[in-house]
Amino acid sequence: MIDVRAWLLWALTVLVAASSTRNPLYAVLLLLITVVVGVTCMPVRSRQASLSPLRFAAMAVPLAALFNGLTAHLGDTVLFRLPDWLPLLGGPVTLEALVFGATNGLTLTVIFSGFAVFNQVTPVHDLVRLTPRAFHEAGVVLSIALTFIPQTTRSLTRIREAQAVRGHRVHGLRDWLPIVVPLLVSGLERSMGLAEAMVARGYGAIYDRANLPRTQWLLALGLFSLLGGWLVWLFLPSWKVPALGGIVVGAGLVVGLLWLAGQAVPRTAYRTHRWAVRDTLVVLGCGLTLVTVLLPLPLADRATLGYAPYPRLTLPPFDPLIGLALLGLLAPAVITGGPTN
Amino acid sequence: MRRVLSSAIYALSAAIGLLAFVYPFLLDARATGPLGIAHGQDAPLVITTLVGLSLVALLVELQGQAISAKMVAMLGVLVAITSVLRFIEVAVPMPGGFSPIFAPIILAGYVFGGRFGFLMGAFTLLVSGLITGGVGPWLPYQMFAAGWVGLTAGWLSRFTFHVSRSDILILSIFAFVWGILFGAIMNVYFWPFAVGAAGRTWRPGISLGETLARYAAFYVVTSLGWDLVRAVGNVALILLLGTPMIRALTRFQRRFHFEVRTAND
Repeated sequence: MIDVRAWLLWALTVLVAASSTRNPLYAVLLLLITVVVGVTCMPVRSRQASLSPLRFAAMAVPLAALFNGLTAHLGDTVLFRLPDWLPLLGGPVTLEALVFGATNGLTLTVIFSGFAVFNQVTPVHDLVRLTPRAFHEAGVVLSIALTFIPQTTRSLTRIREAQAVRGHRVHGLRDWLPIVVPLLVSGLERSMGLAEAMVARGYGAIYDRANLPRTQWLLALGLFSLLGGWLVWLFLPSWKVPALGGIVVGAGLVVGLLWLAGQAVPRTAYRTHRWAVRDTLVVLGCGLTLVTVLLPLPLADRATLGYAPYPRLTLPPFDPLIGLALLGLLAPAVITGGPTN
Repeated sequence: MRRVLSSAIYALSAAIGLLAFVYPFLLDARATGPLGIAHGQDAPLVITTLVGLSLVALLVELQGQAISAKMVAMLGVLVAITSVLRFIEVAVPMPGGFSPIFAPIILAGYVFGGRFGFLMGAFTLLVSGLITGGVGPWLPYQMFAAGWVGLTAGWLSRFTFHVSRSDILILSIFAFVWGILFGAIMNVYFWPFAVGAAGRTWRPGISLGETLARYAAFYVVTSLGWDLVRAVGNVALILLLGTPMIRALTRFQRRFHFEVRTAND
């Protein structure tokens, strides 16, 4: 099983690659890659996505094409004209605008598809385990919430059945009142019991408040430095170096405090996941894609990423080297080789 | 002193979050030329980093105040209940942008205060994102925006008494405004990078007035109808659930006022 951190990098690489191009050929290639990885790596019993990427594409691509076609009156190939008195929509509807809109919809579909795969292949509890040690209280809240969701769903079913026995039927919004309020009260009763149990077991009894003022000072200083650096970066172009310095110092303070806070929290794991060769291969595949897409390499023609159909529609260019580099994202599929139990 | 520092941290991280959402409106004609174009390229990376860092700082501060077991348990359970409501929303598609999660966040923030409201909003979006497969680049922004819904609901409670009909009316107006505002804020995070018709997209160097006009056109065309459904749905839920939920939450707030002391105290 591939490490959840490697999957996170894979999803972020899909995001970066999709955001870096408006070339429909690369976008289609990326979409095919995410579909292949999804089909190959998805466990047999995984969380069902609320919307499949293909259904998303069936909605997003035509809608984006229609929206851009009706509102962007650019391009030479005029299909028809809408009356000029129509606000926003009036003017020529062109083939180029429709194609550009469809490409935007395709890019959105690639991003959606990449994260749909990520959501389906990573167990929720592995994601919770990614919570930094400094956020152990946030991790406890997350764990409680995730643990209570099945109980809450069962409670909801029980309350609905009990109300149905009394003759209650849900027709409109008002009919949810006798279901939601008992659900809330029973949930709060459970939280009361849980809080008492936690206190009885000494939760929070050894909290150290000694370092709190120093942490607060440094946090405030870090945020002030970040904000100041960013404002200078935006509004004073000649002060670029001090602005960058402010952002770096601020970021360093916040990250440093996070690390220090994490050191004070011991964490043990019953079953640890070791980083394996397959995880490194996924990282290398993502690295190949990222380097080719982001850096100006002499052999790759990055200009092909920025295709635009205006003013007259032409065939989008395709650089085989960039296409090969995008195939680095297939690494999880090659390593896994098929659906897992 | 701790209170002052805590307020400063809240204010600074809110300012960074706010700036991340609205910075296109602040870049006026002075930012033309190579600088403006440069920001068009570096902005996604810088903004995402800054939003992430300010969210991290806020969470460190909120945790530093020693969240009690009572708060952890109640927050976890309320987040679970609201996430189940969002699960229902995903399973049974509802009209437009209607979502049942905002009313509980507003009411919890209103009764338990801004800090609880912020955490409730942020964690609800996180947990429901995890269970509905909604993890993506939009999630930190959603967490921030939903956190603000809860945070500001906590401020609202200072001006009301938790009992009268006028409070429900105020909460309804508040829920309506946030129904629109949430969509408008969430649009802004990607709007500067959106491509489309010149009259509705951001370009570096345009004036504040031009930016607002372009964004208004973009918002009216793409989102207003969707967000209006959310806003009306929020009002309906507050009118329907407001009084019984506030009563239930207030009763449990009193019951949670127990304190455990060691034998030596």
